[in-house]
Parts: sequence; structure tokens; C-alpha cells
Amino acid sequence: MNPTMSPVIEVRGLTVEFNGVPAVKLVDLNISKGHIVGIVGESGSGKSTLASALIGLLPDSARITSGQIFFDDRENTPATPEIFSELRGHFISMVSQDTLSALNPVLTIGQHLIDIQFRESISLEEKRQRSIAALESVHMPDPEARMSMYPHELSGGQKQRVSIAMAVMVKPKILIADEPTTALDATLEVEIIALLKQLQKKIGCAMVFVTHHLGVVASLCDDVVVMHQGSIQEVGNVRDVFLKPKNDYTKKLLKCDPARIEKKCRQLPTMDAPNQKRVEDETAKTKRLSGDQAPILQIENLTVKFPKPFGLAALFQKAISKDITAVNNVSLNLFAGETLAIVGESGSGKTTLIRSIIRLVSCQTGTISFFGKSILDQSRDDLESTRKEIGYIFQDPIGSLSPRMTVEKIIKEALPSEVGNANDEAQEVQNLLSLVGLPIKFSSRYPHELSGGQARRVCVARALAQNPKLLIADEPTAGLDVSIQGEILNLLAEIQDKIRLPILIVTHNLNVVRHISDRMVIMLMGEVVEEGATDDIFSKPVHEYTRRLLNSNIHALPE
Amino acid sequence: MIIYTIKRVLLALLIMACAVSTMFVMIHAVPGDPANVMLGPRATPEIKEALRARLHLDQPLSTQLFYFFKGLISGNFGFDLRSNRPVLDIVLEQLPHTFILVSSALIVSTLGIPVGCYAAINRNGKFDRIVGAISVSIIAMPAIVVGLYLLLFFSVELRAFPVIGAGDSDDWLDYLWHLTLPVITISIAWIGYISRLVRASMIEVLSQNHVLMARAFGLPEARVMSRYALRIAVLPSITMMGVSVAFILSSTVITEIIFARPGLGSLLYESVLSRNYPLVMGTVLVSTIFIVGGTTIADLINAALDPRALKEND
Amino acid sequence: MALDQKKEAQNFSDGLSSAVIYRLVKDPMGLVGLLIVVSFVVIAIFADFFAPYDPSKLDILNKLQGPSADHLFGTDQLGRDTLSRLIHGTQIALMVAGVSIGLAVLIGSILGAIAGYGPNWLDFVIMLLFDMVRSYPVIMFALAVVVLFGPSLLTIMAIIVATSFPTYGRLMRTQTQSLRQAEYILSARALGLGMPRILVRHVIPNTIGPILIVASMDVPFVIALEAGLSFLGLGVRPPTPSWGSILNDGYTYIRNSKWILISAGIPLILVTIGFTFLGEQLRDIFDPKIDRGS
Repeated sequence: MNPTMSPVIEVRGLTVEFNGVPAVKLVDLNISKGHIVGIVGESGSGKSTLASALIGLLPDSARITSGQIFFDDRENTPATPEIFSELRGHFISMVSQDTLSALNPVLTIGQHLIDIQFRESISLEEKRQRSIAALESVHMPDPEARMSMYPHELSGGQKQRVSIAMAVMVKPKILIADEPTTALDATLEVEIIALLKQLQKKIGCAMVFVTHHLGVVASLCDDVVVMHQGSIQEVGNVRDVFLKPKNDYTKKLLKCDPARIEKKCRQLPTMDAPNQKRVEDETAKTKRLSGDQAPILQIENLTVKFPKPFGLAALFQKAISKDITAVNNVSLNLFAGETLAIVGESGSGKTTLIRSIIRLVSCQTGTISFFGKSILDQSRDDLESTRKEIGYIFQDPIGSLSPRMTVEKIIKEALPSEVGNANDEAQEVQNLLSLVGLPIKFSSRYPHELSGGQARRVCVARALAQNPKLLIADEPTAGLDVSIQGEILNLLAEIQDKIRLPILIVTHNLNVVRHISDRMVIMLMGEVVEEGATDDIFSKPVHEYTRRLLNSNIHALPE
Repeated sequence: MIIYTIKRVLLALLIMACAVSTMFVMIHAVPGDPANVMLGPRATPEIKEALRARLHLDQPLSTQLFYFFKGLISGNFGFDLRSNRPVLDIVLEQLPHTFILVSSALIVSTLGIPVGCYAAINRNGKFDRIVGAISVSIIAMPAIVVGLYLLLFFSVELRAFPVIGAGDSDDWLDYLWHLTLPVITISIAWIGYISRLVRASMIEVLSQNHVLMARAFGLPEARVMSRYALRIAVLPSITMMGVSVAFILSSTVITEIIFARPGLGSLLYESVLSRNYPLVMGTVLVSTIFIVGGTTIADLINAALDPRALKEND
Repeated sequence: MALDQKKEAQNFSDGLSSAVIYRLVKDPMGLVGLLIVVSFVVIAIFADFFAPYDPSKLDILNKLQGPSADHLFGTDQLGRDTLSRLIHGTQIALMVAGVSIGLAVLIGSILGAIAGYGPNWLDFVIMLLFDMVRSYPVIMFALAVVVLFGPSLLTIMAIIVATSFPTYGRLMRTQTQSLRQAEYILSARALGLGMPRILVRHVIPNTIGPILIVASMDVPFVIALEAGLSFLGLGVRPPTPSWGSILNDGYTYIRNSKWILISAGIPLILVTIGFTFLGEQLRDIFDPKIDRGS
């Protein structure tokens, strides 16, 4: 980094171990005054552990086995727990990853803000005024009223604003932000990042920004640190690293990010095949999509309402009429061989919509037909056989696998009954596992012994075991590193090419949608606001909300 | 909060009404003539007839229940079959002894809070291990064994504590002296239980993100513990202490009998042995009020300490 | 090949349950708990073999004796051997606990599952029932019931079932409510599996653990309740030996011989420690977050 500037914080040869397994290995790092440094890496790269070490708040199970951390304030004295606790809250502060749990549920917002000014010897009223000013600085609406509210009365975005207000109010020299926007919707993410950048300029602190999102690094940071398996792979100016990466790992990581691939790809690059970028040719595409005119899945005017929960109050006042409408008058079609993406932010009703297709959620009005047969008025037996024909991949990969069954049993349960004897079934399970790229030995594992990516593959294998005529996937790549994300998506595309499987995919990840879907539907508060071919919507969005959504999709190239 | 309180109290009344009616119906739906059961086989037909008329036993069950509730509202719990005194008077005479015993036991049980808290902060330390082993061992120790052993060693062998009675209620030192062993009998298991509960919830709270964040702002450790952690960690214990009134009342019966103390337990035991139904009914009714009151108060305290509770119950 | 695989999977799940036992035995607390519980069960089953005397054999000449080589725990007011009576009392204690907790678990689980799975109004009614039962003080309720139906083993068991099923009901309700939205249950439904299969293969295996742990912790409470009622003379009728009635003998003759009381307390203390240790350790192994009662 810039050698002329003195670092606010300097890390020398830091190694952190968890039960003897190193999570951070011999890391050297200097962070200069007023710089924003992004730390990127996949899950398990040690980036969060490094951030916790910087503020001296490692979990109890972690041990620092070598190395020292120096602060600008205490020159030539390596930080001790005493120094850390003295510096925390005015020299160094932090914004947490988990917005929902970062604030104490039984204290008001005002109490949080006033508490952290315990070092200041000013009157309580002055502390209150400062707190209100801090809330104003993060653009919190009606800050005075918010002071007496409890965390559960705020939305996720508002909670994150309070966390930022707290971190900035103490005017730190260095601010640590550990994935501060991961839990937020895309449009909100853009606002929060802009806010952080603005406040960082205002108080002139250095900032360490931990993220797995390359786009955020490109748009926010001055410098970038790339981590892999606990060690630093590459350090440098964001432009230099992103445009001319030197390290092999960095190169692969950058190549795998779908946001950085301009052309629409049928097969995305993976860590094993970083140069793979197969674009589908027109003949293949026509072959995949053309043919039958009748849609395989047809939804018309579907409305889903949830009744308000029953309480004692309902006995006295007949206030049951206030239903919550989750899906409002939605119609859509899905044809053979095509991928339809349903895009929307949390609470837009997209998951409810796809669950109502197989009647996991019951709907009030509308029709759903599958191969021309209505699903909604099927008997229990017919419904069960329809469900057998529809593969469904749930959002939470580990949570959707029965915890006390082995992978083999889980997949066997999905096999159609005509497969036959135990031998054939076992053979089939093996075939499926190898199809999704898992070694045979995984068949005897339990769900909690799988990583997120492995569990996701098992979910895909189970859905394929059904021999489905339609595949529904709810956020199939959420929480996955870009490399694994590519592998899962490539696998789905391959199968679709082979058997012209129609796929309905729900996601909020626009970079993924752009590559894999033929058509897309955009949902907002239970309603479809825009529908059309993916390419058209990305080039000429019509609805105002669509435009806002597309603008929030941060591109992974430095400005 | 006001709405919540009203709702919670209404629910409590509903529970009480259901509990009392069930008890009433059970007593009166037993095969055989209740008058026979109450008076024994030797009573003359005239006496039986008189009793039937007085207790409305000749009416259908629903009418009996109606009379019973009508009586309750006007404070008439019925009359003792032997002395003919109002049941309410007799119960109220005995109530203070039980009330003092139960509330002292509850207060002593709160000793578990600092113990569990200290154990959680020094998790896996020496104190934690020793306290852990002790509290797990005493957690389910039956009051009957504790009470009898205390009686044997301290009262009969060492003669350090009185064997019988509640003491002179005008002489508070004497009263306290008589109260000591019964209170220990009842609360020893609860100290263990509360300390385990506080320890577990404290450990959970300490691992939560907001405690980490409070530390990230350099707040002094003592303040993090008291203001950020303990306030949340005691919530389950408060709920539990509300529920514990039922368990404690059960132990009270045994304890009162072992130490020959006056109180609801002894009263109930005697009236059960003499088949004095109105008295049984009255005692059970008052204890039910006790218990439902306990859980309701615990829920209200919880709601006052935890703003989330109001929302969930809305 | 397929057979091999099946074997491998089988070995693995065997490995899982033996891992539980290994972790149980590795911790001194779990080991002590397991040893105590197993010995009590063995003693109960082979009571005739372990008891040195016939529990009802009178020997007036040797009444109210202290411990001696002939009578390890001494004799009672009728000269019966206290140790033999306690050993036979183990049968009553464990049978009452086993049968009544078993029934309570069954009834509670069914009601809890209905409350958790069924319509909201039914949930409200069932919860009201649970709250109602919870508002009776167990012993007071028991006293009242015993008066109505007369003291017997059956009455005691009925009382225990009636007062303890809400504990399991509430636990089961919470479990089914969280399972109802669990994605693996949804995905079993999405696979088109029938309800019975989902219940047997997915719901029960994932709810039974916590219930068993609470049941194990509940055994001492139930045994103490039986002892308490027998102590009050409202439980098992004499001359059947029960820990509670032996305690009552000890209480009555407290000034003549302390040994009856002291010996009768020992098995109650041991069995309490045994089941509590076992339950605590199982809880640590399976799920640190289940809470009893509330």
C-alpha cells in the first residue's frame, strides 16, 4: 500500500487457530489512515476471523499462536487485551454482520447510543442530543421518536442504520465492517454502502470492509486483500488487482464471478475450469425452446392470503378479517425446456407463490394447471402423485434434508417406486451422486456432516431422482461461494439441455438470472410488476421498480 | 401493556374457572351418593336428606355448579360439615402460615440467580464445576427426604430446631426459628434448579451478538454483564418461578405435615381424611388461585422486563 | 456392492448410537447416572434374588434394630428386614414411574401434536387444558382424588398421568410447531410422500429425543410423588412395601429408631441422582436448549 502514509493498524505474522487448526496463517497487513480496505475471500478463507482479531474479539475457542497487532496510538507496543479494551469504542469500532441480533432486545435505541458514550464526561441531555444527531447522520426518519423504540420495532435496514450510527458516533480512527450488507436486500445494500462511504469521508477514518461480494469491493474500496485458506493471496490497489491480477487464485476468483462476464453464458466458469464460458448457439436454443405450444405449468390469477394468527383477542373482537395478502392475482406460464426466473426482494411473495404450486400453501382464488390438469382440485392421492412429478429444491440445503437419515436413504425416498429392487436403487443412488459430482462415500453421511455446497448437491440429486417433469428451485445458490454457485447452475443447464426440463427458479441474484434464465418475472409486494424475456428486461426495463432493482446490481468492475 | 395486563388477567380467570369447575364436577360425578360418601354409611336418612337439600345435591349437576359459582362471587365458599363455620373463614385462618412459607421459599430460591450467574461467567472454572455437581445433585431431591432428614438430624438428634408447629406468631424470632427447616426443605431443590437455569441462559446470552457488540464499544465488563446480559438471562427464571408455585405448594403439603405446621396443606390433609368435601373444595380453590396468580404475575413481570413479550402476545 | 453399502450405512448409524453411549460413559456424571439407573432396574427385576429376607416376614423379637450383620439396614417396628422391604419397594417405585410416565408421554404427545398441527382454535382449547391442569398443585389434587376413588396403585398412576401429561404436551407442541415449518418436512411433502410415512420416518425420529430426556428427568419427581402419597397413607396399601410407607414407619418411630428413616431415604436419593445425572448428560449430548416445564 502507500508507504508514505503511516498505518493506523499494523498486523505482523498473525496466526489464529481453532482447536489446533489454523484459520489465519502468518498474515501481515498494514492499513493506512483514511483508506478503505476490502478483505475478500470465499467462506472459510479466514476473513472474518482476521477482522475479529483486529478488534481483539476472537471467540473463546480461538487462540493466537503467533504474531502481533500494533496500533498507531500505541506505537511499538503490541496490542494486549488491556490495550484492546481501552481502544475499543473510540479508536476502533465495528459494524456487525448480523443486523437482527446486533442490538440488545431489551434496551431502547437511545439507551444503546447513550451507553457507548460512557467515556465522555458530558451531561445526559448532551449525550441524548448527540445520539439524535448520530441517527440523523444515518438518515434515520424521525430520530427523536426512534430513541425510545426497541430493536424489534425497527426494520432490518433501520437496525443496520442504528449499528452504523453507533459505530460512527464514537469517531473512530478505524472502522471494521464484517459483511454489513449480506443480510440486506439489494436496493438497501446500495443505500447502506453509499452511506458508509459518505460517513467514512466525513470522519476520515480508515475502514476494513469484509465481504465475499467482489462488486461491493470494486465500488467502495481503495485497496483489496484477497484471502484463501487463511493466507493472504494478493494485496493492492483495487484497480490493479481487479484489472491485472497476479495471483492464480485471484485470477480464478475474478473469472468465476458471473457479474464480471458480459456475455450471457450457458455454462459458467468454475474454480476447476476458470476459462469455461460456453455461450449457447442459436440452433441449440431453438431446439431447446421450440416445439409444444401448450405451457407445462400454467398459473392464472392466483391469490394467496394468510389469516391473522388466532389469539385471545379474536374471541372478544371479531378482527379476523384482516388477512395478509402474500400473492395477489399472479398469472404465469412455463414452457418445455425453458428457465423462468422469479425475481423479487424478501417479502415479495415469491417463495409463497412457488410453494402454492404444489399446495404446500393453500390459495384462495385462481387456477394452477400442470400438463393441462388442474392441481388445485386434485384428491390427496392425485396430489401426491403430482408432487412426485415435480422436483422441488428448497432454499435451506441442510435444513431441507431430514437430519436423522443418511444421504442414501434421503435420495432413495425420492426414487419412483418402479425402480425395483434394492440393488437397482443403490445403483441409481450412486449414479445420481456421481451426476451431481459427489463421491460415492457420501451416501452414508448425515446432513449435518455436509457443507452447504455438498448439501445443495444432495438436494439437486434428490430432485433429479424423482425423474421430474418440472423443477422448482428456491434460491438454489443463496449462501454459496461463486465457484460452487457456477457448478450447481451448470449442472441444471446440462440436464435441461438433455431432457428439455422446464425450470422455475426463484432468486434475488440478478447476476445469476442474467445468465441462466430465458424469461423473468419481477415481483413486488405479492404482485407481478414486469414480465418478459430476460435480455429485453435487462436492456429496456419498463417498470420503475425494475429499474431501481437493476441499478442496485453493483457491477464488479472498478470505476 | 395495559391491554396485555387485561388480557392476561382475563385468561387467568378463564383458567381458574375451568379448573374449579372440573374439580367440582369430578367430586360430584363420582358414582354413589355424595351425601353417603360425606357422611359415611351410619348417617340417618333424615340427616342425609338435609345435607342434600343444603348442598343442592338433589338438583342437576349444572344447577349445582351454578349455585357454587354464585356462592363464590358473593364470597361464600360453603360451610364446614363438622363445625358449620364458613369454609372461607377456616381457609383464611390457615392461609398466612402457608403464604409465608411459600413466599420465603421463593425468595430463598432466588439465591440461585447470583450462583448461576457467577458459574456462567467463570464457565468451566473450579466454582462452576463444584456448583454444577452440587446443584445437579440437589435439583430433584424430593422434599420428603430432605424434610425428614433435616427433622431427624437437626430437631430430633441435635435438638437445634423445633420439631412441631409454626411457633408463636407474635414472637417473630420464634416464628422464624420454626420456619427455617421447612423453608430449606422446600427451596433447596429450587436453588439448584434456578442456578442451572440462570447459568444456561446466561451462557447463551453471553454468546449472542449484541453482547459482543457491547464489548466492541469498550463498555466496562461489569456493565455488559449486568445491563446487557443478566437482564435477559433472568427472564426464563422468572417464568419458571411463576410455574414453580405449583410445585412448591405440593412440597408444602408434605412439609407442613412432616413439621406439623398449621397451613393449607395440613388443613387439606385433615379434611381429606375426614371426607369434609366443602373444606377440600375450598382449600384446592384457594391454592389454585395462588398458582394461577403466580404464573400470571410472572408473565406480567416478564412483559415489563422484555418488550418483545408484548408483541408476541398481541 | 449394494450390500456392502447398506452395511456401511448400518455401521454408521450403529456408530452414532454407540457414540452416544461412549460420550455418556466418558463423562463421570453420565457414567454414575447410567450405573445407578441400571442397578436399580436390575434390583427391581430380580428383587426376590437380592432381598435377604421375605419382606413381610415378622420377627417381633428383633423389632426396631439398628444395622447389624444380619440386618444391614436394621428392622422396623414389626421386626421386618428394612433392606428387603426397600428392595421390594424398588419394584413399586419403578413400575409406577415407568407405566405412568409412559402413558403421560403417549397422551401428552398426541395432544401436543394435535395442538401444534391442528387449527388455531383447537390449539387454544388444548393449551387451556394444559394450563388448567398445571394450576392444580399435584399433591393437593392427588389428595382430593384419592378420597374419591380410594387409595390404590391404580389411583396413584392415574393421578400422575393426569398431572404430568401437559409437560410432554407442551414440549410436543413446540416441537411440532417448529417442525411444521421445517424445510425437511415440507420437502418430504413436496416429494409426494403420504402422511403416515412422513410421521414415521421424519416427524417421530426428530421429536422423540427431547421427550425422552424430559421423561428421564421426570422419573425422580414421579417416584417422589408416589413416596409422598404412600407416606401420607394414601398410596400403596400395606403390607405391600413402598419407599413412602417405609418412610412413614420411620417418621412414626423417629424417637425409637432413626435407622428406618435413614435407610428409607437412601434409595430415593440414589434414584434421584441417577436419573437426573443421566438426563442432564443426555441433554448435553443431544440438545442443550430444551427446557422443562415452561
